[in-house]
Amino acid sequence: MSTGVSLMLTLLFLTLIKSVPIVYAALGGVISERAGVVNIGLEGMMTAGAFSAVVFTNLTGSPIVGLIAGVFFGAVLGFVLGFAATFFKVDQIVAGVGINLVALGGAAYGLVLIFNQPGASPQVTQLAPGQLLPQITTGETAMIVLGLLCAFGLNWFIYRTPWGLRIQACGENPRAVTDAGLNPLRLRLYSVIASGALAGLGGAFLSICEVNLYSDGMTAGRGFIALAAVIFGRWTPWGATGAAVFFGFFEALQYVLQGRISWLPSDAMQALPYLAALFAIAGLVGRVRAPAADGVPY
Amino acid sequence: MIAVDGVDLDLLPGEIHALVGENGAGKSTLANIAFGAVKPDDGTIETNGTVGLVHQHFELVGRLRVWQNIMLGREPRKGMLVDVDGARSRVAELAERNGLAIDPDALVEELPIGVQQRVELMRELEREPSVLLLDEPTAALAPAEIATLFATVVQLAKRGTAILVVTHKLQEVIDYTTRVSVMRHGKIVARYLTTQTSTDEIARAMVGGELPVVAERETTGTQPCLSVRDLTAGVDTTTVSDLSFEVSAGEIVGIAGVEGNGQTALADAIAGMIPYTGTIELDGSTDALRHRENIGIVPQDRHHEGLVLNWSIVENAILGRQNLPGIRKGMLTDWNAARADAEAIIERFDVRAASPDVAVRTLSGGNQQKLLVGRALLGDPRFVLAYQPTRGIDVGAAALVQSRLIESRNRGCAILLISFELDEILALADRILVMFRGKVTGSFSGAEIDRGKIGRLMAGLT
Repeated sequence: MSTGVSLMLTLLFLTLIKSVPIVYAALGGVISERAGVVNIGLEGMMTAGAFSAVVFTNLTGSPIVGLIAGVFFGAVLGFVLGFAATFFKVDQIVAGVGINLVALGGAAYGLVLIFNQPGASPQVTQLAPGQLLPQITTGETAMIVLGLLCAFGLNWFIYRTPWGLRIQACGENPRAVTDAGLNPLRLRLYSVIASGALAGLGGAFLSICEVNLYSDGMTAGRGFIALAAVIFGRWTPWGATGAAVFFGFFEALQYVLQGRISWLPSDAMQALPYLAALFAIAGLVGRVRAPAADGVPY
Repeated sequence: MIAVDGVDLDLLPGEIHALVGENGAGKSTLANIAFGAVKPDDGTIETNGTVGLVHQHFELVGRLRVWQNIMLGREPRKGMLVDVDGARSRVAELAERNGLAIDPDALVEELPIGVQQRVELMRELEREPSVLLLDEPTAALAPAEIATLFATVVQLAKRGTAILVVTHKLQEVIDYTTRVSVMRHGKIVARYLTTQTSTDEIARAMVGGELPVVAERETTGTQPCLSVRDLTAGVDTTTVSDLSFEVSAGEIVGIAGVEGNGQTALADAIAGMIPYTGTIELDGSTDALRHRENIGIVPQDRHHEGLVLNWSIVENAILGRQNLPGIRKGMLTDWNAARADAEAIIERFDVRAASPDVAVRTLSGGNQQKLLVGRALLGDPRFVLAYQPTRGIDVGAAALVQSRLIESRNRGCAILLISFELDEILALADRILVMFRGKVTGSFSGAEIDRGKIGRLMAGLT
């Protein structure tokens, strides 16, 4: 195989791998925002997922249990944000930022408390590390397939089921939902819990599937990139998935280019996915429309 | 504060009962209590079935389809999915039974206001309520749409639904209802059988005395003052194109039209708030329009454009006029002059406030509106743009504001009156222009003024 072809293959596989956590978090962003809650806390929920996955894998030796723990603790933070943003009418942005800070700080403290070492956890069992394809593990493949299933399922749920219709109405005009005899606060709460679960799964992928440990700050703004993917994908499951892959591509590109372009410092190259998000969103200003009641407490 | 106080009201199956009263009389609160959205502190509501409420501002989901809005919360199911065909046919059946034409698959936000209201009405009818409450159902409708709405309501009543219509449009009360209850200060002060009363009698009961008299108009000159030529402005939902008209000194020109037909773009262009093509001149000069002493503006939305609610009456009285020679002294503001202006407005417009120094927020909506109009008319400007000058104020205050506008006109001021209330335009304007989708579709003055024709043009009919 020529180096060109192998480079393209590397880029392709890396794009798939780097997209996965963003896809999960972006799908979480979609369901939360369609219900009318802007989930700035996606980043924190990913952190919670990543850290708890490592802790529970370490505890039980089973990365499957770790994965479930990641989903669970993401959902717990979703519950906290959801409850604050609905029944307590806390500003969604403030509550979300709070969750990000608590998750980041909590994980850093947890490293010391549980593993007695700051900065990073010891290595744990990785999820199905066997090579299915040359550059991609069985675990990663499974998570890619699961991600696509989630996108498919969410699309089906939002557009075809009665609950999806109600959630859409919640994000557009919660009063109409009240008039229909339903409780929009409860619908929003459930949506944000689901959002947290998905973000937690994305976080768990980062720590026990792509690598085999948790290190401080390893989510590296992917929750925020996912928020951008929600907007870039026009608040639809498939749109957000596509946008997440688009941003994943730039992250992969950054890895591939590192060390190949000598005059560009690697720090500048690491900014590539964030720049891509920035330009993508800036180009969309005024051309996309959020759910009408997105971010508005009810 | 008590909004509704010791009210007894019976609604009988098959009757259309009007609940009338001035703003703040407690009508809407009573409707919401009957619906169950507001809990009464004392007293009971009894019904032999369910209660439906059609809101003044519809509670619809614009980006969902008609059938989705109507069936929300009661979606027919096929396993875990929404039974779309079932929902569509249920909507079609409802439409047929009630004589309402509707496309179940239309996006609600793309429908005209009158049709949107039909969707809201059908959503309530889907629940087959035995009592239907309509809160100011005609506020946003053109005359033709009002007739369609009431045709449906009358049919519903014939089939035995008890109907309560909250309104302040007395002609509708006379035309369509069977009984009338009048509310004032939270109490029901009069009850009539519609056939045995008149709009005058109901209005007197609403005000609690004789109706205030509006000032007489005097003969004035016809010298052109404001001239608009080939005006094109606005974006998206509110645009005007190739608009040309004149307003003479001493003339009130009324723009009749249903809300959302370009009135906002016209007003914003004249006020210099949005870019436009074409010309707008005052006394033959574009510059003169930008000299603050020449124009007075009553903006559409007093809270967002007109007043700073946390500021005092004195501060608000010079807002926008702060650079006029009488108000500004070098780099400073002459607060004595400002206070004198505020006091003049308070006196002439009967603004009820503890002192000129209280925050405008503490005034009632009606008093805020009087302050706004008072400021616009201060110093006899050449031209006044009055956008809904009596918006949300009661009959007495409205008569005062209208009188002051006519007095300014009599002194030679050119006034452009934009209002969604056709009655107000008919009462004040010397000349009436009908606006539909950003264009003037009719012009009437003097004896040509014909309510029916204007109403049809407002609805886009010819």
